[in-house]
This record gives sequence, C-alpha cells and structure tokens, in this order.
Amino acid sequence: MTFRGNLPWRIASFAVAAGFVLLWQWIADLKLVSPVFLPGPDRAWNALVAGMTEGDLATKLVATVERMIWGWLIASLAGIALGAAIGISPRMRAYVAPMLEFLRPLPASAIIPVAIALLGLSDAMVLFVIAFGALWPVLLATIHGFSAVEPRLYEVGAALGLTRRQTIMKLSLPSASPDILAGMRLGLTVALILAVVCEMLAGRDGLGNWILLSARSFRAPDLYAGVILLGALGFLSSVAIDWTEQRLLRWRARAR
Amino acid sequence: MRARGLLLPLLLLVAAELGMRLSGTQSMALAAPSDVFLSLLSAIGDGSLLVATRDTLTVAFAGLAIGTAVGLAFGILFGLVPPLNRLMEVTIEAIRPVPSVALIPIAMLALGFGYRMGIAIVAFACAFPMLILTRAAIAGIEPRLFEVARALRLSAMQRVFKIILPAAFPRIMVAFRLAAGIALVVAVTVEIAANPLGLGYGILIAQQALDPARMLAYLVWIGIVGYALNWALVGAQHGMFGRAGGAEARQ
Amino acid sequence: MRKTDKQAAARPVIEFSRVDLSFGDRKIIDKLDLTVREGEFVCIIGPSGCGKTTALRMAGGLVNPTGGSVGVLGEAMLKPRRDVAIVFQDYGKALLPWRTAHGNISLALEAAGVAKAERGDRIEHLLEKVGLPGQGDKYPAEMSGGMQQRLQIARCLAQDPKVLLMDEPFGALDAMTRQTLQDELLSIAADTRATVFFVTHDLEEAIYLGDRVVGLLPDPGRIGTMTEIGLPRPRDQLSTREMPEFLALRRSLFDFIEKAEA
Repeated sequence: MTFRGNLPWRIASFAVAAGFVLLWQWIADLKLVSPVFLPGPDRAWNALVAGMTEGDLATKLVATVERMIWGWLIASLAGIALGAAIGISPRMRAYVAPMLEFLRPLPASAIIPVAIALLGLSDAMVLFVIAFGALWPVLLATIHGFSAVEPRLYEVGAALGLTRRQTIMKLSLPSASPDILAGMRLGLTVALILAVVCEMLAGRDGLGNWILLSARSFRAPDLYAGVILLGALGFLSSVAIDWTEQRLLRWRARAR
Repeated sequence: MRARGLLLPLLLLVAAELGMRLSGTQSMALAAPSDVFLSLLSAIGDGSLLVATRDTLTVAFAGLAIGTAVGLAFGILFGLVPPLNRLMEVTIEAIRPVPSVALIPIAMLALGFGYRMGIAIVAFACAFPMLILTRAAIAGIEPRLFEVARALRLSAMQRVFKIILPAAFPRIMVAFRLAAGIALVVAVTVEIAANPLGLGYGILIAQQALDPARMLAYLVWIGIVGYALNWALVGAQHGMFGRAGGAEARQ
Repeated sequence: MRKTDKQAAARPVIEFSRVDLSFGDRKIIDKLDLTVREGEFVCIIGPSGCGKTTALRMAGGLVNPTGGSVGVLGEAMLKPRRDVAIVFQDYGKALLPWRTAHGNISLALEAAGVAKAERGDRIEHLLEKVGLPGQGDKYPAEMSGGMQQRLQIARCLAQDPKVLLMDEPFGALDAMTRQTLQDELLSIAADTRATVFFVTHDLEEAIYLGDRVVGLLPDPGRIGTMTEIGLPRPRDQLSTREMPEFLALRRSLFDFIEKAEA
C-alpha cells in the first residue's frame, strides 16, 4: 500500500468514518432507533469518560487485560513447547495429530461449564478457560510449523555439526516462527473472547461483566462505553502483533 | 497409520474409565466414559439433544448465511472498486476488532433472547472474515486474466461473472469454510453466555444440575457436530475443486 | 601445485570400498570402489539414476551404505562431520532465509563454538574470499542465484573443511556466472588445499575443473570409466577449453555418456 498520495486517502477514509459517527448521532437524535439500546455517540463517549475518570471502568479494563494476557502467555508457552515436541517427531505426530484434529473444531467455550464444575466460579477457572482456548491455535500452528521445516536445512545442520538443541533453536524454531506468530495472533483473539464470556458467566470483575450488568439495568451508554473499550482492546492487540511480526519477520518482507 | 492415531484416545478413555471405577469418585465434574456414553444415548433417546442440536444449527446456519452474504457482497464491491475500499478502510478496521461476544448484551436489549439474537451475533462474526478474504481473493486474481478479458472485449457484467468470480471462487470457498467454523463456535458461545436454547445452554444446564455425565455427553456431542461440519465442508470443497482448484482449495 | 604424479603418494582421504546401497529391493549402488587422495579434485559424472548424488551423500555421512564401507580421513563415515562440508545444488533451500549473509556464515561458526568476538572478522574475510565483500547485511532473498551460491560456499569454508563435497553446485546458474564461479572455486581449492568431490552433469565443467573424472553407469550405479585429466593448471576458460587434449577428453566422455544412457 505504498501508492503515491497515500495520506490524502487516509484522511478521506477517516472523514468517511467520522461521517458514519455523525450519521449514528443523527439517527440517535431523531430517535429513529430506540435510545434504550442505541444511545448517541455523545452519550456513549460521556459514559466512557465518566467511567474512566470517576467510575471504575479503568479497573475493569485492567482486570480484563490482565486475564487475557496471562491466559494467552501461558497458552503460548505451553503451545510452543508442546507443539515443538509433537511437530519435530514424525512418530509423535502419527500418534497425537489425529486426536488433535478431532478436537480442533470443538468450540473452546464449550469447556466453560466443565471448568466451572471443576474449579467453581473462580479466577482460576477463568484463567484455565482462556489458556485452554488460546492453546489450540498456537499448538496446531506450531506443530504445522515444525513439521514443515525444509528437510535440506536439517541436512545443513547435520553437516555443520549442530547439536540437537542448536538445531531446534537455530533452525526449526525460526523456520516455524511465521506459523507460530499466526497461531499466537489467533490465540490472542480467542483469549479476549473467552475473557469476556467467562466474566459474563462467572460474574468476575471485568469488561464482560460490566457490559452485561449495564445491559441488565438498561444503562445503554455504559454498555456502549464497554463495547468501545473492547473494540479498542481488540484493535490494540492486533496492532501489537503486527508490530511484533514486522520486527521478527523482517526477512519475509524483504523477500517480497 | 490410522490405527496409531486411535491408540492415544483409546488409552485415555480406558484410563479414565478405570480411574473413575477403581477410585469410586463421586465428582461433580467428571464421569466415567461409559456413563457419559449412556447419558449421550438417553439424551438422544428423549429427543432433548436433537432439539438442542436443531436450535444451535438453525442459529449457526442462518447467521452464517446472512453474514457470508453481506461479507461476500461488500468484499466483491470493495475488491472491484479500490477507491471505495480505501475510503471505507478506517471504518472497517474500527468495527472489525470488536469481539463478537461483546455484542451479546446489545443484542439482548435490542432483540431479546431467542433465535434472532444468536443469528445477529453469528452473522456479525462471519461477515468480517468473509469480507476481508473475498476482497483479498479478488485482489489476488492473476492480472493476465484481466488482460484476457480486455482482449476478448467482455462487458463489465461479463467480466464479473465470467472472469472475476470464477477466478476468485476457490479462495472464496476457503473463506466460507472458515466462516462456517466460526459460525458454530459463536453460536455455542452465545448460548453458553446468555441465550437459553441449543447445545450451549444444554451443557450449561447439565452443569448446574450437577449431572457431569450429561454435561460431558453434551461436550462430546458438540465435538462430534463440529467435526462432522468441518468434514462435510472439506469434502464439499474437494468435490468441487477436485481437479481445477484442488491445490488452492486445500490451503 | 596439483600434479598427478605427486598424488599417487598423497594419503587417501575418501575411500569407497565395495560399497553397496539398496532401498528395499532397488539397488542404487553396486560394489563401488573409489579412492580420492589428499588435495585431489575429483569430478563425478553420469546419466541420471547413476547414483552420483547418492555417492556424495554417503561421503557426507547423510546416507549410510548397506554393504561395504565409506571412509573419510581414515574413519568410517556414519554421520556428518564438521571438516567435511557439503555444498548443495538448491542454495535456495540450504540457506536460512531469516538470517542475513553474515548470519548464515555465522551459523557454521556457532556450530563450531567459535567465540562471538572472533566471528565478525572471520565472516568478513570469508565474504571477501567468495566475492561478496560488504554484502553481509543482505538476506538471501535479496541476492541473485550466483550470490546465494557464493554465500553457501562461504558458509562451507567457515567449517575449515578438509573435504568439500559439491552436488551440482552450479547447475542452476546461468552460463556466465557458472564460469566465473568455476574459476573462483579452483582458486579457493588451490588456496585451502581441500580435497574436492564434485558431482556434475556437465562434461566440460568436469574436465575443466577436475584432476580426475569418474563416470558412473546407471541401474545400479557403478564405475564405468575413470580418466586422469592432465591439463595444465592454472586453467583458463578460453585457452584450456581450446586445447586439443580438452577436446579429445570431451569427445571420449561424451561417447561414454551416450552409451551409458542408451
């Protein structure tokens, strides 16, 4: 996207988005849609500012972010370690991969009731569910990345006399890194979704619980403030992954 | 080779069975595989499981149909008209990252509980991947094909229906498969989080009724439904592109 | 420098003795006997399916024979060793795309446990030696095929190899680049006094480079001809290739290949 005149397009694109916000304001002002569930952007914004400054919206945001990040980190570490162990050995793959393929389409949220039965409505339960759900994308992507390493590279490694540890750290892991990062990106999305769902179900403090309670008490502006924050959270996490990918996978960009 | 893949699940099942039987555990979360199996049979027998499956699939498929139709239409439009795509970029990128489950409370207020709420959220979740991937599919068409179209003096409509859509079709199908997987996941998630119907609600009720065998039976069943759906879609894709687009369809 | 009469006295470096190799029922190599002496440049030619690449992989320890033995520097070659370097034909797959030229050479030094402080100078020196001075920051994807193959050779030289095994290293390059690299390889081989085992499908290349050319016959792979190349060194792309001996050798090897393929 390095066409000339990129900036004018960017500005125009922001103008269009601003136009949609104005349209939303106009619809809300004219009460074309019931204000019970569509407050104008002004009221949502005011609720957001009030919640962040006077209310405890910031605390909820931090709680959700912490859950999401911790669960995702645990899932990523476990997923990479397990995925490397499975992906690097064809024999291990033959035994384990079919079962993983069967479990892959299972919605991660379906284990929430099981987790509740095991761990109760606790923070440990929430963390477990997030880590479990975010594990799958990372695990499967890592297995794929490790099993798709160019065999010639292993011959090069053998000819150079790399130790097994060096082979994994210097050949397999970097070669699998694009897949692993793609899995971690998906895992982060899953982590956010599960954090919100668990907070709704288990009543743990956080944005998920906040938006649910706001809806139940018909505080639509508060609800939208929470949704906007969740959108921002999703946006920022995707930007963070983009940034990491660009730094770590610079060699790929150069290849194009 | 398949036998080796079955070994591990069988071992785990036997271990779970023996573990539950020998320890005589009375758990609120765990049950012996044989009890889970019996519970699954009884849930099928009394029809409750099938009703729940019907509800979940109704929501998933209706949401999928609406979401992919919208995503496909805008994806084609944005793919064919780059200026429009660039004008809408900020708007799309602002809405897309909103986690679909964040819409549950809004849908509760606007639509109340029931099919419509689930369908709306599933449609939202399916529309964006469909839009993005369709747009990419059209942008990724071999430029030589456009030259061919020009050389053949095809009209704009002919270009869309004879060149662009067929060329992008395999990748659009991949997008559809992805969206279908998302549809089931989101449908079940909405039911677990809020909506009192379908398989997600069933598993939650079984947990609250402290009936672990039934809860796990639902879990297994959800897994089977997910696997079957995925299997059917992969099969359909291979059937359609067995020869012309097999390589691309498998991506 | 490299004189054929002196080589008779030099010690053997690569020894194939009655080597058999079968994959299942299929016999790939049949009773191969071949000795390459220290400092010698031996080229292996033969039609496809004659097992020339397989022989090279056995000399590199990547494949083990099912009968007989392959020895390098007096030891059985059951797995790769650091002083035996392998240059693969497919440089695109053999280089690490995520490492720069500098990093790719560094890999060999890391494997050998060379201290970090020492690596930089050696890498610069190696890059110069293969004609890539100042190119250390480039990724393989940013380099031409010829440059990538130079880089792979530099990485192999970083191993301080006593033996260089080269599997059609210039096969994928254009004619001009190939000739330049042939001359550079000859000067590198002369400098390092490494023993070279060079597989190629190009007869002229084999004659131009080698002290000796071994022709293999296919199905199963076995030795069909063995020719000492008495052409004077240093060789020259124009004058050497115009010598009557060169043309005569080319003629006889061409006849051999034609018969082998029939």
